[in-house]
Amino acid sequence: MEKRVIKKDALAGIIKNISNDMLVYAPVQDEDNVLFKVLEPGMEPLVEYANTKNAPKNFFFPQTETMMKYFRTERGRELAEVVEDAADAVLFGVRPCYARSFVLLDNIFDDPKYKDSYYIARREKTVIVSLACVHPPYTTCFCTSVGGHPMSLEGSDVVLTDLGDVYLAEFLTPKGEKLIEKMGNLEAADEALDAKKQELSDTAEKEIKSHIPANDIKPWLDENFENPFWDTIHRSCLACGTCTYLCPTCHCFDITDEVKGEEGRRIRTWDSCMSWLFTMETSGHNPRTSQKERWRQRLMHKFKYFVDNFGAVACVGCGRCVINCPVNIDIRKIVTDISKL
Amino acid sequence: MGNNSGNAYQPRPVSIIRTLPQINEHRLFQLKLEDGGSWEDFGHQPGQFVEVSIFGKGEAPISISSPPTRLDALEICVRRTGRLTNALFDMEKGSHLHIRGPYGRGFPVEILKGHKVLLIAGGLGLAPLRSLLLYLLDKRDKFDEIILMYGTNNPDNVLFKYELLGFFDRDDIKYLYSVDRDEEGIWKQYVGVVTGLFDQAELSPHDTYAVLCGPPVMYKFVLERLLSLGFPKDHIFMSLERMMKCGIGKCGHCAIGDKYCCTDGPVFPFTEIEKIKEAI
Repeated sequence: MEKRVIKKDALAGIIKNISNDMLVYAPVQDEDNVLFKVLEPGMEPLVEYANTKNAPKNFFFPQTETMMKYFRTERGRELAEVVEDAADAVLFGVRPCYARSFVLLDNIFDDPKYKDSYYIARREKTVIVSLACVHPPYTTCFCTSVGGHPMSLEGSDVVLTDLGDVYLAEFLTPKGEKLIEKMGNLEAADEALDAKKQELSDTAEKEIKSHIPANDIKPWLDENFENPFWDTIHRSCLACGTCTYLCPTCHCFDITDEVKGEEGRRIRTWDSCMSWLFTMETSGHNPRTSQKERWRQRLMHKFKYFVDNFGAVACVGCGRCVINCPVNIDIRKIVTDISKL
Repeated sequence: MGNNSGNAYQPRPVSIIRTLPQINEHRLFQLKLEDGGSWEDFGHQPGQFVEVSIFGKGEAPISISSPPTRLDALEICVRRTGRLTNALFDMEKGSHLHIRGPYGRGFPVEILKGHKVLLIAGGLGLAPLRSLLLYLLDKRDKFDEIILMYGTNNPDNVLFKYELLGFFDRDDIKYLYSVDRDEEGIWKQYVGVVTGLFDQAELSPHDTYAVLCGPPVMYKFVLERLLSLGFPKDHIFMSLERMMKCGIGKCGHCAIGDKYCCTDGPVFPFTEIEKIKEAI
């Protein structure tokens, strides 16, 4: 692992420089929100911000993407091209919880039997540069309850830690190390900075205000698919899907076709298990009949099924769903309530 | 088997060899690969499915109705019910479309070898079970007694009618057919729900495997009968239906507990799903 020091006022310029010859996806100010966007000339990457409104999963798994194109012929529509357009890229400024979400998503998109080449190609060509949460941004952050840490290195190629006057840059992977030369002349980091970082890591952990017994509820979930408790959480849910769209680990999608004149494309779009249409079969049969079943699915998928299949809770504790739910459904409260049953 | 190289979502071109009308709004389509490949290399097993793909309309999971022992064509039996199947019914001999697959876990033919097999089908549930039924008949000496129970709602809705009638001339398969209603009084066999056929069959549960496919309502009642007759739980296999979009365990639509219908199923041993309450 290589370590360097980056001067604080130099970072934004370094990132802008990289965007001259690589695709850079970075947090930018967008009216009232901070959003991950592709950095274009004239755009300023934010290096100091609380957290972004959207999770960066969009970069590997876009909200909408063209999978293939086709055209009309006399005997039917024929395939024109499979669209795979991954380019060398830097995903800059992700929080450690987001970086971890990619490790969880890899289980789905990069499984041994069926590879999702859209996701994998972007993933392989992208260097993930994280900004450690020296001060966890929100009171709703609960990464330490679900296997994460505000200064976790998991899932990142490069981690930048704000040490006050400089960033400590840790280049963790070969892919990350290749970025060093694109960052100009960086000073080597001396060992004293490690101690400083460790100190900050300890305080960052203590600054996490929110704690939930995420790993304790599985035995209850294993036995209580049917329980009156499930009647208590869904009634206010509007099925808007905000939680699933903003969730860094939600990965459900739909595949649809779109035709314009002689040409058409097959597209993939995010979908949400909160929608009644999600499980609706063409026959009219729907195995999940109400929002109760859909909420149970969301909870079970994150805290039981994903654990059964991949050995980890499918939640990184970013608190996106908690902050943005229009009716204040709080997954932390649900998990805590279950732990008391 | 699985398309592990290249793009897993890229469908293969096929053409329609012929369409055979079945009953009202149901047709059998015989397909031919148009990319130079063979159905032998396709490598489908009884009970697997394909994603039928019509560019401009979308994709839909359709079970394969023909067995791997008959490779002149891949047959799919389709009910006209949604956007894709409507477009499919507008196609004719020679039309081009696409498929990808084969997907999922099929019926456990290796386990069935040497044993009696009871096939229980309801309505369009015969479509996937036919791939197993023809497989068993094509390899007849590998299996003990074969019993088919097939129920439809009325005499007009019997699928694969001529094949079923053909069994009247065979003594190596037992068949029991039922219809829920027979308003015109033309049905010569059992009238009533498919579970009524159990009263007419002589079954030896301990050396028989039961294989089910039908509408959701059928499973509950058939399972009750099988268990009360003494069928061991590990002798019961069922093909489940879900909204399967990607077919390769990614899109999340067909989740049944910690399983995906598309990759872990669609055929499940009862022992795997008996504890998953939403499975049936």
